[in-house]
Amino acid sequence: MALAIDVVKRSGRRPTESFDADKLLRSIRAACLSVRSPEGEAESTAAAVTNAVILWVESKPAVTSHDLRRLAGAHLERYHPEAAYFYQQHRAII
Amino acid sequence: MGNFDTNSSLAIIILAALIHASFQASVSVLTLLSGHALGKKTAHTRLLRLTGGFIGGVGVMSLLLLSGMAFVLSQLYPTSTPLTFWAASCGALGGVGISVWLFYYREKRGTSLWLPRSLADYLNARSKATKQAAEAFGLGLTSVLSELLFVFAPVLITALVLIRLDPELQLLGLLLYTGISLLPLLIVGALIGGGHTLAQIQRWRESNKQFLQFAAGTALLVLGVYVYVDRVIITGINGLGVR
Repeated sequence: MALAIDVVKRSGRRPTESFDADKLLRSIRAACLSVRSPEGEAESTAAAVTNAVILWVESKPAVTSHDLRRLAGAHLERYHPEAAYFYQQHRAII
Repeated sequence: MGNFDTNSSLAIIILAALIHASFQASVSVLTLLSGHALGKKTAHTRLLRLTGGFIGGVGVMSLLLLSGMAFVLSQLYPTSTPLTFWAASCGALGGVGISVWLFYYREKRGTSLWLPRSLADYLNARSKATKQAAEAFGLGLTSVLSELLFVFAPVLITALVLIRLDPELQLLGLLLYTGISLLPLLIVGALIGGGHTLAQIQRWRESNKQFLQFAAGTALLVLGVYVYVDRVIITGINGLGVR
């Protein structure tokens, strides 16, 4: 599901792309599965977090990918702290 | 070669291998590889094959680096190693030790390493794209090379020590070094295989990163001083010529 919201990529070097809720959902689900969350729980957590992020971005013409990640991480923290930790750490592992 | 020399040589090899083991690029890539595999609902046996392939790649590259370096040095110095080369190698250990203290980790959250970001992004992208054990093996090879700037010092000193050992001890030293340098990966692989979560592993790595950094830097300096005393000063004082 692509909304008419531009996502400015990290460091601004890569081109801007449209906000893709499915992509966000997949990344949250993957973070949950990475910490061995059951599949059903991963699905429901990902849906809840994605919905919360959609509510936030709907009113904005453009957001940064960093903001999306930070916000999704903050919402994920409420549902699954361990997955949130891994999600937030992902770019800082290496 | 006397008993003391053999013990001293094995002690140098073990300490150098422990220093190599403390470097984190391969552990980071293994964490990313496992994270991507679990996130894609990869079956447990396939996950084990991927981690096994990766660890195998790291082991083979460490073995190749060490044996390659030993071969080159044995061709350069077939009968004895000049004291100046020993001294320069000790200087390299000290320099790398101080570099580890200063900039091994980036000053931010997580376990971001000194690696250029383009290389780190490449390793991340490759770990995401890896689906076969053979690809994981190649990723293991690459991850050792990515950290060559730091790894070369303990490898160099081990190679210098190895080429002055008896042939059967050379093989033992080679296997000992590779085995010890793989220990963290084997432990992380066993933890992942045993069902521990990556968040637990990453949390431990993050909370202990400063200790690991300090220990690795200090160990490099200690090794440099020890080798300098053992191979340069004592050899010079005894007037036994260069080993």
